[in-house]
This record gives sequence, C-alpha cells and structure tokens, in this order.
Amino acid sequence: MPEIIIDDKKFTYDTPGKVLPFILDHGMDLPFFCYHPSLSIPANCRQCLVEIGTPVFDRATNSFKTDENGEKVIQFFPKLMTACSQDMSDGMVVKTHVSSEKVRRAQKDTLEFILVNHPLDCPICDQAGECPLQIQTYKYGPEGSRFEYKKVHKPKRIQLGPRVVLDAERCINCTRCVRFTHEISKTYQLSIVSRGDKNYPSTANGKEFDDAYSLNTVDICPVGALTQADFRFKARVWEMNQTPSIDITNGKGTNVDLWVRDNLVLRLTPRHNPHVNDYWMPDSSREAYRLFNENRISRPEIKLDKELVKTSWNNAKETIAEIIEAHDTKEVLVLGSGYASVEENFVFNQFFTALGCGKASFVPHVVEGAGDGFLLTDDQAPNTKGCELLGFRAHTNRTFKNALAKATVVVVLAEDIVGRELANAEDLAGKTFVYFGTNNNTTSKDAQLVVPITCAAEHAASYVNVDGRIQRTFAAKETVYTSRATNLEMSTGRLDRFGTKFDNWRTDKNKVDCLPVWEFLSELAPRLNQTLSYETGKEVLTAVSSSVDAFAGVDYDKMDTEMGVVLSTPETEEKTA
Amino acid sequence: MAIDFQNYKTLIIPQGGNLRDIKAYEKQGGYKALKTVFDARESAWTRENVINEVKTAGLRGRGGAGFNTGLKWSFMPKPDGGKRYLAANGDESEPGTFKDRVIFEFNPHLFIEGAIIGAYSIQADAVYVYIRGEYRSWIRFMEQAVADAYKAGYLGKNILGSGINIDMYVHSGAGAYICGEESSLMESLEGKRGYPRVKPPFPAQRGLWGRPTTINNIESLANVPLILNMGAAKYAEMGAKTHPGPVLYGISGHVNRPGVYEFPTGMLITDLIYNVAGGIRNGKKLKALVPGGSSTPILRADQIEGVSMDADSLRTAGSMMGTAGMSILDEDTDMVDFLYRISHFYHHESCGQCTPCREGTGWLEKILKKIKNGDGEMRDLDLLLDLTTQMEGRTVCALADAAAWPVRHTITRFRDEFEARCRKSVFAIA
Ligand SMILES: Cc1cc2nc3c(=O)[nH]c(=O)nc-3n(C[C@H](O)[C@H](O)[C@H](O)COP(=O)(O)O)c2cc1C
Ligand code: SF4
Ligand code: SF4
Ligand code: FES
Repeated sequence: MPEIIIDDKKFTYDTPGKVLPFILDHGMDLPFFCYHPSLSIPANCRQCLVEIGTPVFDRATNSFKTDENGEKVIQFFPKLMTACSQDMSDGMVVKTHVSSEKVRRAQKDTLEFILVNHPLDCPICDQAGECPLQIQTYKYGPEGSRFEYKKVHKPKRIQLGPRVVLDAERCINCTRCVRFTHEISKTYQLSIVSRGDKNYPSTANGKEFDDAYSLNTVDICPVGALTQADFRFKARVWEMNQTPSIDITNGKGTNVDLWVRDNLVLRLTPRHNPHVNDYWMPDSSREAYRLFNENRISRPEIKLDKELVKTSWNNAKETIAEIIEAHDTKEVLVLGSGYASVEENFVFNQFFTALGCGKASFVPHVVEGAGDGFLLTDDQAPNTKGCELLGFRAHTNRTFKNALAKATVVVVLAEDIVGRELANAEDLAGKTFVYFGTNNNTTSKDAQLVVPITCAAEHAASYVNVDGRIQRTFAAKETVYTSRATNLEMSTGRLDRFGTKFDNWRTDKNKVDCLPVWEFLSELAPRLNQTLSYETGKEVLTAVSSSVDAFAGVDYDKMDTEMGVVLSTPETEEKTA
Repeated sequence: MAIDFQNYKTLIIPQGGNLRDIKAYEKQGGYKALKTVFDARESAWTRENVINEVKTAGLRGRGGAGFNTGLKWSFMPKPDGGKRYLAANGDESEPGTFKDRVIFEFNPHLFIEGAIIGAYSIQADAVYVYIRGEYRSWIRFMEQAVADAYKAGYLGKNILGSGINIDMYVHSGAGAYICGEESSLMESLEGKRGYPRVKPPFPAQRGLWGRPTTINNIESLANVPLILNMGAAKYAEMGAKTHPGPVLYGISGHVNRPGVYEFPTGMLITDLIYNVAGGIRNGKKLKALVPGGSSTPILRADQIEGVSMDADSLRTAGSMMGTAGMSILDEDTDMVDFLYRISHFYHHESCGQCTPCREGTGWLEKILKKIKNGDGEMRDLDLLLDLTTQMEGRTVCALADAAAWPVRHTITRFRDEFEARCRKSVFAIA
C-alpha cells in the first residue's frame, strides 16, 4: 500500500487525496483558512504551507534511489508548498510545524500579514469564540505586530442581502463565500471586487444577495466578515450551548445544530452529514428558531364562553377522559401529522386505537414546485414518510373533509388544519375538538381543549425524511418539567455549567409549560383503564421497532453512530437493488 | 564576442517603413514561412518538425521567464478531439517594458504569421491575442490586421487549402498588470476576475476553458517566421549562444535617445547605453540599471562592466534578462524615491488573492513612503528585507516575487543611501 511520512510518522493510504485533509483526518493539526472540503481549492490564504519532499526515482535502475543506509533519498521542493493543493504520492515526506522551523516561521509570517489590515475588533465581533483566525493566531501566530501604519479602511455594515451583513475590513479574502455561490448554490451572486488590499466580496452593482442559501456563507466565513442579520450581537458563542438536531421545516431532514441560551433557541446552523445535506442548509430552515421560542402554547387551555383560558394539567386529562366516555369512540377522528415525530404519532395512535377509535390518519403537506432538487423539498413536513411507514392512511384534502364531516370528536396532533385550509371554523362547529400542539395558531383557536406538547427542540424524537432516512433530535431547551442538570443527554454551555440561579442571565421565563405527547398520554392512561406507559422517546422507539416492520432493528444508538439509518421501505429497497 | 551591431539589419522592426498593410508585408516576403509550412506540411514541415526547428533555434520566451518556446510547445498533450488554444500575451504592463507595441504598430503581420504557425504546430483551434487595454490604437491596428489576414485566407476555415482551421480573436485587457500573468490572463479571457490559478495543473494540461493551452509572448511568436525563413542553425548563431535571436530592447530613463531598438541578444549593456541610446542625458554619470522590467534586480554602474544582455551574463552579474526593458538611472536619481515608486506600482497591481502579496505589497509601500518622507528609522530597512523574505516564493503567482526583488536588491545594493535617509532606531524591530 502506498505510504506517506508526516513529521517522521509513517501512514498508509488507499486513495490518494490532498495532503491537508489527510493530515486533519488523522488527528493532526495544520492551520488553514481558504480550504473547505466541499469547495474548490484556490490555495490563496497560504496558511497551510509545509515542506514537501518526494523520493528520487532512478530511471536507470527503475527504482527509488537509496542512501548508504538503504533509506530512500528524498528531494525537497525548494519552496514551501500548500498542503491543501498538494496531491499525495507514494513515499512523500511532509514536514509541518511539528518538525520544521521553516514551516513554523511561515505560519507566523502569514498570520502577521493577515492581521496587518484586520481590525482586531474581537471584543465586539460575533465570530469571536468560534473564529478560526482567532484560534490559529493564538496557536501559530506571532506575539505582536510590527505594523505601525494606518490600516486600510473598507466598507462596514453592508447589508449584502436580506439576511447577510458584511464587514469588509474583517474579510481575509479567502473566497469561500464567493466559491459557495459559484459551486454550491450556483447563483453566482458574489464576487471579489476591487484589487489588492482593498479587496472584498460583493454582489454586482444594485443586486441583492438573496440566494436561498445565503446564510451558509456566514457559516463558512472563517472570520466575522459575514454575519447573520437577525443574529448579530444577540449572543456570544460561549454563552450558548450547542445541540444536534434535525430541520423540521421540510422533508429533507437537514442535520442542524440548535444554539440555545437561557432556553431560547438563538440560531440554527447546519451540521455535517454527507448523506443528507453535506455542510449546508437553506436559509428558510434557519427561521425555525422562531417556532421554538415564539408564540408557544404554555399550560393547557380550555374554552369557556368562546374564550380559551388556562387550565390545569389535571383538568385537561379529566376533560379528555370525559369526552371519550361521553362519545362513541367510532366517531372519533384521530389525526396524526407529518409535523410530529415518529414517537409522537405512534403513541398518539396507540392510545386512541386502544380506546376503540379508528386508526390514525394524516394529511400530507406537499407543495408542488416548492422543492429545488437540493435541500428544499416539495414536502413541507419533516416526517411524512414516518407517518406512511406507521401505516397511517394518507388523506387527500377531499377525503379528509369527508372523514371530518362524519366525526363528532376530533383529536388532532400538531396539524394546523385551519391554517392549511383543510377545514374551517364551520366544519368544526358542533364537534368536540381537542388540539395537541406546540404553537398558537388558527387551529388552536378553534379547539375546545388545547394540550401543549414539546417541540423538536424540547424532546428527543425521530423523523423520517423523504429518502427514508430516520434521524433524531436531542432535547435542547428545558421545559418547566425538565432539567439540564439531571438529563445527561442535554448539552450544557458555559453559562449552564457555571451559572447559578441567581445570575441575571438565567431566568425561568423561557421554559414552556408543556409535556411530550407520550408522557401526557401515559399519565392519562390509568384514568381510562389503559396500561400505556412511556417515559422517553427512546422507549417509544423501542416499541416502534419491535412492532412495525419498517422500523425493525432501529434504535437511537444506531442512529447516533450512523448519522441516521435508512429504513427499508419499498422505495429504498428499489434504490439499493 | 562583440556583435557588429552597427551593421545589424533589423528583422522585427521593419526596415522600410510601416508593414501594417498586409500588401506591404507580403511584398517584403511576408507570409512566406506560413505558405512554406502549409505547402510542405505533409513532408518537411510536419508539426513535430516545426516544433523541433523552433526548439533547436533556441528561441527563449520574451515575456520575462525566458523559457524555450519550442520546448513549451512540445508540452501540449496528444489531441483528444477537444478544443486547444494558443494565447498570445500582449498585456505588457511591467514598468520599463514597451516593446510589443512596436510589433502591433509596425509589424503586426509578422506576429500573426508566427502565431498561425504556432497554432498549427500545437494543433490549436484558435489564437487569443490579449492586448493591454491602454493600447487603444494598437488594438485597433491589430483588429484590422487580423481582418486582413482572414480576407487573405491565412486565417479561418481551410487555410490556404490545407483543410486546417484556425481562428484568431483580439481581446482587450482592462487595465490590470496581473492579467499579463499567464493563468490570470486565461481567467480574464474566460470573462472572469483576473486571479492567477494555482499550478499544477499547468496550462498545457488545463488551460482556457479547461482545455490544453499554450501562452506565448507577442515578441516570442514574432520570432517564429524569422526562424523558419533563416533556418534554426543560422538563428541559433545570432547573439548569445544560450539565448539567441533578435531582441527588442526597450530603453528608457535618463538617456539621450530612449526608444525600442532591435539587436541580437548578448549586446553589451554599455554599448546599448552609450552607443545605441546616445549616452546618459546632460552628460551625467550612470548610477544604476534595471535590465529587464521593474521586477528584475537592479545593477549598480560598477556591476555592469562587460555584462551583456542575455540570461547567462545577467545571472552572473546578479540580475535577469526579463523583458529586456532597460531602465537607466543617472547619478542624480534618488534611490529611495525610485524604490518607493516601484513599490507603489506593485501594491497597486497586486490582485489581492493571496495573503503575503496582498498585505506585503502595501506594507512595503507604506514603509518606503515613511523613509521617503524622512521619517524612516534604521530598523525599517531590516523590516523591509524581512518582509521580502516573507513574500518570496510563498504565493500563487510570481507578482509577489516581482514586488519583493526590487526592494531586496535596491536596499542591499544601495544600503548607504537608504541609511542616510533614516534616523537611528531607538528600539529594534520586534
Ligand atoms: C505578474 C506577472 C505579469 C506578467 N506580465 C506579462 C506581460 O505583460 N506580458 C508577457 O508576455 N508576459 C508576462 N508575464 C509572463 C507570463 O506569465 C508568461 O510567462 C509569458 O507570457 C510566457 O510567454 P513566453 O514564454 O513567450 O515568454 C507576466 C508574469 C507575471 C508573474
Ligand atoms: S467574507 Fe469571509 S468567506 Fe468571504 S472572502 Fe471574506 S473572509 Fe472569506
Ligand atoms: S502573488 Fe499577488 S498577484 Fe499573484 S496571485 Fe497572489 S495576490 Fe495575486
Ligand atoms: S488552506 Fe489556504 S492555501 Fe491552503
């Protein structure tokens, strides 16, 4: 097998790639800025310079030249080479800062240059704390600067588009943002303008940077030059905790991270998953943070004199029990939803069918033409496939109307049927309507009883994307009933770890008074002589995988280690065949 | 070996008036080489033979790097059915360089003829002629000349009944020195921002639009018909052995008769200054010489004794041939001012793609400005030298080297003048 020697250590490889990713993938460090694994390689930052040598080939003997010790004679390139653009070859010798003074010197030199015209405004820069420039400077930079002149001034606070703001002085001209619009989103909206040390990225004159994926440039910008308009100055990175999750705004199942401070989700960023979204996510998906924070239903609500008023959890349970007891369960319409997780739908269906209600159904939410063949799908819901695989009947708008007309009791899980115009107040008039939901909406307004349930940011639950891949969320926000301190699966940031409840940045006001569907129904079960009992989503999924064929063999550990699991559906079978 | 330059008959600069008119050029024997090649391409002038002829003639590129032109042509890969290109580099923007314009102005067809032969031998489908944007009128001359060559059947489909098709397009630059760097030139031709490309891949592997491409300087290509007309052996005997042929010397600065002069390579620098360009103006003494465009290392007057204009002799003397654009500086020249002006140019022209050049060129200029204004300190000189080390050989293209060399060599070769302008440092550089 071909081999490469890095800082006197020997490694073998199968497929030759570039030197930099090989170094990084093998647990070694090398500073870099412009390189990005999913973009072309311009080698323009010059931060990854290394010494490269290759064995000398002797044409006469048709073999590598060796010295008196039998070691291959290595010839080094006279110049330092950029590891990001250097192809590996058999017998290559690489010297990084670990073994080469020349490389250490070059790394310092380049950083000194980069910082010459950099404003060094880290204390007020959003990137501080997660800034590659900051990190590399601490690790590999010079102690000070020998630059004693006025820095070049460039445009600041430029609203490049509706969602992205540019501070050109912070830009280090790595061209990642430009390359993103050329190679990934293919809108070609950004280009570097001007020349030399006046360079900065911009759109064409009078054009907006309204790329549907524009915010990815903020993620990949190695400095604070590009910032997200509605996140700027909201939080320091170290104040937030970061929790892996799944995008719930369409059917792609884009892997994301939720960034939470004081139980508010402040931003979403893409999480690398080569099988789903690579390093990217659409701008529209980032809006989901509002869903997690704003307009949440907190505490159950019951209708009294046409007004919804807050009520106790006990009263909510009692009310449902009485509704069930007062009606023929055959007349109960149980509506699941592609907007809720597999676990929620499963338990919802299990509970009501056990009471004699018919099997849950759902109304897929597909908008033809909404997809773009990349990370936006026609499917608007994150778990349509999951409902299908649970065997829920998929209604058309018309069959749903008919079913609704026949029912006297309607229990709906997280589906905004009024907002989606599947039903209106008239259709619901005279029926007993119970709504299990996360956010206030036109549907919750028309319900007699509203049960607040946890959202994707508050529970661990799984969603099956359009390609049949099941992936899961982790609880990121505390509810009134959960605690970061006791739920070891919840991540903690600095403030969570070192703060006390007396700190003024910690409040309880952002905790929502809601319960996971499975927990609420488990509590309700004894009242209706049922035995249902689940404490966690993990338990529910175990039940799902042992009772529904499509989910056989799936559990949270497998999803976690394999970045999601492709379920064996008829479509996926066909694809692999 | 002294060259009998007094009796030299110019080959590139027309002897009898302007040859812009295609008829006039043909009357002087123009397009004879092209016709011979296309007539005899089955037998004598196969593509390999043309390439070998140019290779053995020893023609070295006149664009700055001095690479053997025929050898460069031989790097083109075997045809795979796709497009292949020849790009002719007429961007000449390096301070002190103004020789290609003489070809555009007086002998454009000589270049066109050479380019067609070049395109034929590397099997290119098209030639792109990239001309410095400021050369407004010469661009127009070139466009006219190319149109005339099409009309005469030297360009276009089925050239001279050979079945070979070659197109030629004239393309104007937009005022960026960096677009003379070959890979940046290709980006510019593709309609993109003039950012040099990382090499490898080299242009012969992936050039214009990802296809095999060769880039040659205008003057290099203008030499090709001369080689075929006189034969490689005779050409190789002209001027310096390892760097033969006629060269356009662009002489500027403090001489009595600045201008573009054609002579063989290997001319003594002293001959060029005193006998060709009329000596230093106002009877002053020579102080220094920049032999081949502003990036080539400066030589003090005492370093040019017996040095001739060719790669080997100049290397021994501590400089380079570059483009043979010679800037002559007299004894009154303020070296600090001179170097500041050059650094200003490179700062202004750095494309800004890579860090050491983008930031280094500006920093160099700022320090030199400070020294020029009398605010410099001794430690600034060492800092300048340090910065050149930090720039050289660490960038995507050679502009950073071009910016660093003048600083390094002007300071080391005229250190006393720089020190005289600087105060003693109170503290050392970090
Ligand atoms: C910054 C920079 C500017 C250059 N400008 C020119 C130019 O204006 N004209 C030119 O012919 N070559 C220029 N060159 C050299 C070209 O890259 C290339 O080597 C040359 O065109 C090749 O032609 P030749 O082999 O015929 O000399 C430049 C190189 C650099 C690094
Ligand atoms: S804005 Fe950021 S991503 Fe874009 S070129 Fe500048 S540093 Fe790179
Ligand atoms: S060396 Fe200078 S001119 Fe060349 S690519 Fe880098 S920044 Fe641009
Ligand atoms: S990572 Fe920027 S040059 Fe290699």
